[in-house]
Amino acid sequence: MAADFHSIDQVMEKMADARYIADRALATVLFLAHRLEKPIFLEGEPGVGKTEVAIVMAKLFDTELIRLQCYEGLDATTALYEWNYPKQLLYIRLQEKEKRSKDEIEKILFSSQFLIRRPLLEAIVRADERAPVLLIDEIDRSDEEFEAFLLEVLSDFQITIPEIGTIRAKNKPMVVVTSNRTRDVHDALKRRCLYHWIDYPSFEKEYKIIMTKLPGIDAKFAEQVARFMQRLRQEDLLKRPGVSETLDWARALMEMQKDYLEEAVVMETLGCILKYQEDIRKFKEEIWQDEEKRAVYIS
Amino acid sequence: MYQSSIQEALRSLKEVDICTKEDFLNALRANFVSGDLEWAQFPQLFEQYWTSVIQGQDQGPTQDKEDVGSGTGESAEAKVDKWMEGAGEQGQETDQGMEQAWVKRVGYSPVSPIEKVDVGKFDKEDIAVAQLALKRIMSTFKTAKSRRMRRSPQRRSVMDFPRIVRKSLKYGGIPMELFYREKRKRLKRLVILADVSGSMERYARFVIPFLLGLRGVGPRAEVFVFSTSLAHVTSIVRHLPVEKALAQMVKCLPEWSGGTRIGYSLHQFNQNYGPGLLSRRTVVVILSDGWDLGAKELLRREMAHMGSKAYCVIWLNPLAGDPAFQPICQGMQVVLPYVDYFLPANSLESLKRVGHVLSKIMVH
Repeated sequence: MAADFHSIDQVMEKMADARYIADRALATVLFLAHRLEKPIFLEGEPGVGKTEVAIVMAKLFDTELIRLQCYEGLDATTALYEWNYPKQLLYIRLQEKEKRSKDEIEKILFSSQFLIRRPLLEAIVRADERAPVLLIDEIDRSDEEFEAFLLEVLSDFQITIPEIGTIRAKNKPMVVVTSNRTRDVHDALKRRCLYHWIDYPSFEKEYKIIMTKLPGIDAKFAEQVARFMQRLRQEDLLKRPGVSETLDWARALMEMQKDYLEEAVVMETLGCILKYQEDIRKFKEEIWQDEEKRAVYIS
Repeated sequence: MYQSSIQEALRSLKEVDICTKEDFLNALRANFVSGDLEWAQFPQLFEQYWTSVIQGQDQGPTQDKEDVGSGTGESAEAKVDKWMEGAGEQGQETDQGMEQAWVKRVGYSPVSPIEKVDVGKFDKEDIAVAQLALKRIMSTFKTAKSRRMRRSPQRRSVMDFPRIVRKSLKYGGIPMELFYREKRKRLKRLVILADVSGSMERYARFVIPFLLGLRGVGPRAEVFVFSTSLAHVTSIVRHLPVEKALAQMVKCLPEWSGGTRIGYSLHQFNQNYGPGLLSRRTVVVILSDGWDLGAKELLRREMAHMGSKAYCVIWLNPLAGDPAFQPICQGMQVVLPYVDYFLPANSLESLKRVGHVLSKIMVH
């Protein structure tokens, strides 16, 4: 393994090297997850960097990131494995000429060469050489049946394929489960994980994030952007912008060769940070009309 | 808290430096907490515990938790009693005075005199009736299809490749027999938003069984209660026995039987739960009299958002049970354009009717 965590401080340092600003609480959870080989359950509003944690972890351990994006109706054939049917059919046709017995063909037909590995199986098989990072993204989008199924996989990292047998992971993959908390995930699943809630960043943290992620940015400008976003999140909006919106916006402004915030530019690039027509209208009509508020935003 | 979490927490503590308070807290929190609310409360409880230990009057963390949980001076049980008695107290000055004035003016009484006497009491039978009615409503929405498959005798949907390959073996790999699968039908998701503000007190007899009746409806119902803010009570309704569930629900919502801010409550719902719960497979049922003293524009905006995301929005209004009823109150007028079905609901009888009406409308 490329990295091994010895202390919480070391985790924080390494995360910072990989350009992820982690507070001590998150670093503690990551440290414990690594030491105790437990999955991490990350909750938080969209765009606060939950998925990014898994990506950075994969980078730190110099290993592969295997991602399972959840959605309603996700089932075993898309999450676990599936047989490659066209290949099987072709194989049978080819073997028919060689006059092999039915049993013989069936044995080969349902062997690993005809198996399509989906993320969960992939993570378990790959773990033989080097434990990958398995990201189970937006678990709250999947349905309860899938959750129960996942529970089984996460508890002992083994999968039983009736035709082949049980496949067990030699090393436990590092598992990161994320949720936008749009529905309650069952306690049984949470209990097996270490829980961490990622909040919107404080001003200092957001400033640091901008500075690390966009190295070319002017410090004063970064401060302005961070302050603007902090204010904006206090407004009553349908969808409050996350850190990813902040970074998108700062990047867009840099592309436009701006190095300070001005009123006209904010109006032009509002689409980077507000994604609902209602929010944009509200911002234009209720906030931006007011000269005092405008001044506070661009201070 | 589970026994296993305690064991896991101890394992975690072995790994961190327990002399550092922050790390000690973080390690415990990662193991004991399972939601954002608990996450925010934990440091406070942690501090409280140590303060009480230092002062030598350790009352145990359980008691501390109680204090934080209830928040207000009034105990949850007292609130339940008050709410259940609700309709009896005619002279009660609430901020719903406007609504009461209106009720007096049109001489409308939503409950018959006999029901009025025992309006505070509901029995388990009521819950059973509500359950039946809700199941009926749910059955009308069974049309949503899941991606999960089952065997089908008919030639439609998709082919069942695993079976075809298996059976083709005996024909030397020629798929002679074809098999099909079809998508399994499944329930749509039901989201209930129930108004438990002061003006709804008189319908307690209906609202409570309605909420508690949801325990039998299956895993795809989510329950929220609101007055001036919103609380997610699904797990309470589902897991606790009737008496405890009610007390616990009241604890969740600081303003139980207080004022109403439908717009703000819906905003909270849309913002926090909307992205996951609102989809073309979701049926939203709002149970409220529509007396909103909050911002009209906000209510309109949130209803529009909800209407555009959900499969269908049903508004059950207890007041609408009266034939002379006109949706004149501001709140109701604002929301009507975004509501798919506006139905009366002031008794369990009417709920049964709602189920019946819906099954006719929904099944073509």
